[in-house]
Amino acid sequence: MSRYITLRLAKGILTFFIAVTITFLIVRLMPGDPTTALISDSLSPEDALVLKESFGLDKPLYQQYFLFIRNLLKGDLGYSFFYKDSVASIIGNKLWWTLLLMGSSLFVTLLIGIPLGVISAKHQGKLLDQAINVAVVIGVSIFVPLLAFLLLYSFSFRLMWTPIGGAYSPGIDSSQMFGSVVSHMILPCATLVITYLASTVLYMRNSMLDVLKEDYVRTAKAKGVNDRKVTWSHALRNALIPTVTVTGLMIGKMVAGAVLTETVFSWPGVGTMIYDAVQKQDFPLLQGAFLVLAASVVVMTLITDLVVAWLDPRIKL
Amino acid sequence: MREKTFLESFSRHRLGVIGCVGVALILLAGVVGPFFVPFQKGYGEAMPLAGPSAENFLGTDALGLDLFSEIIWGARTSILISASAVLVAMFIGIPLGLVSGYSRGKIGALIDSAIEITMTIPTLPLMILISALVGPSVRTVAVVIGVFAWPTLARIVRNSTLKVSQMQYIEAAKVLGISKGSIMFKHILLNIAGPVLVDITLIMATAVLTESSLSYLGLGDPNVWSWGGILQTAFKAGHHFRAWWLVIFPAASIMLYVIFFNLLGIGINETLNPKSRK
Repeated sequence: MSRYITLRLAKGILTFFIAVTITFLIVRLMPGDPTTALISDSLSPEDALVLKESFGLDKPLYQQYFLFIRNLLKGDLGYSFFYKDSVASIIGNKLWWTLLLMGSSLFVTLLIGIPLGVISAKHQGKLLDQAINVAVVIGVSIFVPLLAFLLLYSFSFRLMWTPIGGAYSPGIDSSQMFGSVVSHMILPCATLVITYLASTVLYMRNSMLDVLKEDYVRTAKAKGVNDRKVTWSHALRNALIPTVTVTGLMIGKMVAGAVLTETVFSWPGVGTMIYDAVQKQDFPLLQGAFLVLAASVVVMTLITDLVVAWLDPRIKL
Repeated sequence: MREKTFLESFSRHRLGVIGCVGVALILLAGVVGPFFVPFQKGYGEAMPLAGPSAENFLGTDALGLDLFSEIIWGARTSILISASAVLVAMFIGIPLGLVSGYSRGKIGALIDSAIEITMTIPTLPLMILISALVGPSVRTVAVVIGVFAWPTLARIVRNSTLKVSQMQYIEAAKVLGISKGSIMFKHILLNIAGPVLVDITLIMATAVLTESSLSYLGLGDPNVWSWGGILQTAFKAGHHFRAWWLVIFPAASIMLYVIFFNLLGIGINETLNPKSRK
């Protein structure tokens, strides 16, 4: 493996390890008895004792830590009070919906944002610049639940163009599933795209402007390569590198957007589950949700790192 | 020709001035407003879920309480939480940024990694977990937001410190035998106050978004009024489709707060570095 991948992988593992350690410490060093957070009052004393032993809550802290990590490696994230089921299997069913929503939103954002960024770099002008800047300020100021609600209210409630919530209509067979999911995903996806699009356009535009000043762009033009080809093939590839890097950093924030969006549209992912878990005070589920989302972000960041490496000829894979 | 003062240049920045006036109005509403508007508890005497009218000009909620006074008291909560979060972020971010930028070497690299890792971790789910465990209160929410807001500040302090520490007057201070701590916290910090101020206004903005998100999810302090909390109550009871005012007014307050602080930050930034205005 090349040095680049090894380093990135090591950083990813370290990040997840730190997330795990923070989680472990928060739950145990909280004022009061950690058993109240990990074990519900509604459990019978016998069950509570079994759970207590499985967490190792009677042992010293460092032994609990090793136990915690060993359980994690086995895929054991604890037991949910409310669903009376293992946290791992509950989240396992929800995670794909969240990843589907985030993945599609990211894809659409880049699909629209990159060409828009390139076009706006080619057509510099005061009005366009101002429009982008205003859009960026609005984009970073969006309160996601409001945007989600406005979309839901106008398109589902008033116009009735899109379904009102959930991820698919109940009682349909597998052949209609795809279309149903797509129609349910339009609004949640649009919420996230609107929130993150302006920043993507701005990054793409700025890095394109930098690249267009480079010598090799001038050389290509001097050699007689037509302007369109220089822009869309020579310059674009290099301008994508910083944009993809920044996109990777955006993923952690996007999780927050996805969590909030899901709650408004009752999207059956981790976000809606978190909302329910807060209402039910289901701490093991909240802990599991954070760990799984942290792991997902680490993996997605690694993927963007690989994309950067593929785009950047200076990095050998 | 005399050089323009900061205020003279700032007053030419239209968006910055809008932000400044907006922030002043919000501060006025949140700090002074609650002295004129009663803090409501229990049930109100007005008609529940009534739209904007002469008596309750932003309407009433499901308990018959006046939405306008809830929003004024919500402004106080937002200001209190975002300002406290900024203090926490400054307390962690400024020393770490200074040390990382000034000492570089191994400690610097370590702090850099800490900044990068904290920025990668999805903080909202972590803040949700902590607030749920500790129990929602104004103090918890403020500390939790501040504890995860420091990386952007640390990064800006670090980058500015890197630039400033190569200046001659810092070299001179070193030669004069001024202690490291004194160079960092006096000579460097004073010279990077501009970018720090800009980032503080931006943190004020994101802190309110986070605070509103947490209270919207049901993790706000139940004993105070907050904009996110009003939304949470309306959504939970399913009133959001019938009583639009219960969604639009608190959400608009959140967004105006965020936009005004962002504009103020942009105004200060572009006045300090006219080059960044492209």
